[in-house]
Amino acid sequence: MAYHTSIYLFLFLPVVLLLYQITPRKIRPFVLLAAGYVFFWIISGELVWYLILTTLFTHYIAIWIEGTEVKNKKGRKRILIFGILVLLGVLGYLKYYNFFAQNVNRVLDQVHPGVAITMKMIVLPIGISFYTLQAIGYMVDVYWKKIPAEKNLAKVALFLGFFPQIMEGPISMYPQTSQQLWKGDPITLENLTGGSLRIIWGLFKKMIIADRLYLVVQAVFEHYDKYNGVVIAAAAVAYTVQLYMEFSGCMDIVLGSGQILGVTLPENFRQPFASRNAAEFWRRWHITLGVWLKTYVFFPVSTSRIVKRWNHFGKTHLSKHMTKLGISAIALFPVWLGNGLWHGARWSYLFYGMYYFTILLLGIAVEPIRDQILKVCRINQDAVWWRMLQIGKTWMIIFTGELFFRANGLRAGYRMFRSIFENFTLDKLWDGTFLSFGLDKADYFIVFCGCLCVAIVGIIRERSLLDTQQMQKVCLPVRWAVYYGLIIAVILFGAYGVGYQQVDLIYAGF
Amino acid sequence: MSTLTDILMEIDDSINYEKEKALIDDRLLDSFAVISLIGELEETFEIQIEASQIIPDNFNSVEAMEAMIRRLQGMD
Repeated sequence: MAYHTSIYLFLFLPVVLLLYQITPRKIRPFVLLAAGYVFFWIISGELVWYLILTTLFTHYIAIWIEGTEVKNKKGRKRILIFGILVLLGVLGYLKYYNFFAQNVNRVLDQVHPGVAITMKMIVLPIGISFYTLQAIGYMVDVYWKKIPAEKNLAKVALFLGFFPQIMEGPISMYPQTSQQLWKGDPITLENLTGGSLRIIWGLFKKMIIADRLYLVVQAVFEHYDKYNGVVIAAAAVAYTVQLYMEFSGCMDIVLGSGQILGVTLPENFRQPFASRNAAEFWRRWHITLGVWLKTYVFFPVSTSRIVKRWNHFGKTHLSKHMTKLGISAIALFPVWLGNGLWHGARWSYLFYGMYYFTILLLGIAVEPIRDQILKVCRINQDAVWWRMLQIGKTWMIIFTGELFFRANGLRAGYRMFRSIFENFTLDKLWDGTFLSFGLDKADYFIVFCGCLCVAIVGIIRERSLLDTQQMQKVCLPVRWAVYYGLIIAVILFGAYGVGYQQVDLIYAGF
Repeated sequence: MSTLTDILMEIDDSINYEKEKALIDDRLLDSFAVISLIGELEETFEIQIEASQIIPDNFNSVEAMEAMIRRLQGMD
């Protein structure tokens, strides 16, 4: 029951909203809690125990940390480390056991042929990567005394098991959502229309654009040995657009569902393709994962003893720039290793993390030279041409990263990347090759128009010309024209029915 | 605390620190600037800044940083 399916949109969500609205205020949070567990159970069955046990464990660890004397710093730290290790241990076992066994077996095969670690059939509970990070964040916040440990178990349970967030996040922090989830405010007409509009907008991105591009992506990435040059390059672009439309579209449905219930969830995307460099891209793409890694990995490492020692060493032996570069390397490495590993047990995901680690570090390394060149050449950094050039460069970085991310393994990614430079002619774009992927000219035109709509909305948001709240104030005929226009577009141009297949949410697999 | 302003100017001299009250929220100082700043503050003011202290409220303005420094010095 993914968020874009009719069972969620026309059955599950309306039933939950109805039950929520007709029950007394005090009972409403429990309706949401029950809905979360039903949602989880429908997708993962008895694996719902993982969520229940994680909730109980997190709740009592937080209370244990708070109950330990403030002076007993080591004791508090030990409890926190124990809590984190258990949660990461469960996640690691479920997610990486087979990957570990597979790679160990490769080595064993060389050293002791016939000896091997047994592979296991492991089914991942839905959303484990998302709720585990939320649980760890909550425990750390209690340890840091940013928030008190929550005494009400149901509140922690709802924080970890709010149904719109279960599958794909956003990864929220306890203070961001806990109070809102527990308020039990009635559904207002304003929230209902605003949230519904956001849901339809998400469906527009997912069903009109992403699900069409899926066919191109699938055809090229699964048979990459048949193609080269511009076809591979176009497939990398198509995958990036598909991923964005799908993930951000799903987030629109998630945030819209939350909005109807009066819960403002944190945004996960902010016009990422307007970024001028890779660092900015990651402040705009999958924002909540970036914020989580920054808060709970980057800053703790930045203030660790090893960084302080390096800082001290740098001051006496190195230049300021080299000191900064060293600190950045130490602090960024675990962040990007974590980012790669979080996505799953594949070498290509690890490569993806290390790819961005290298690019960000290179960006810092060449900073003085770049500044010097800009100064000598008297380049105005705010000039439109310069900004376009920077955005274009960032796009190349993004497309290359996503090519490796989607490829069937690291080797396939490398071969695909290499083959872009073989026989690169633009003729392939219009010689009919792209019409053999299951899309006709009308489909490509619809994708183009859809992307144009998303880009225009992106520009409006980027320039703060109109936000969702202001949309409510736009005159009624215009507002309803937008509502009906979007609904009709999804019905008429959505990729469903004969000739299309239901496409699973990519990030639900993480 | 003129030393604090000197440190901030060393990190980025294009910012008007007297005027700006949302250095983090408006992304005038990024994460790398913040970690460079922390190293300098710890050494100059002989304080220990832990990860839990790295929140926008503590770094959004010169006044907020001064208050944090005073608080941490008091704690020592």
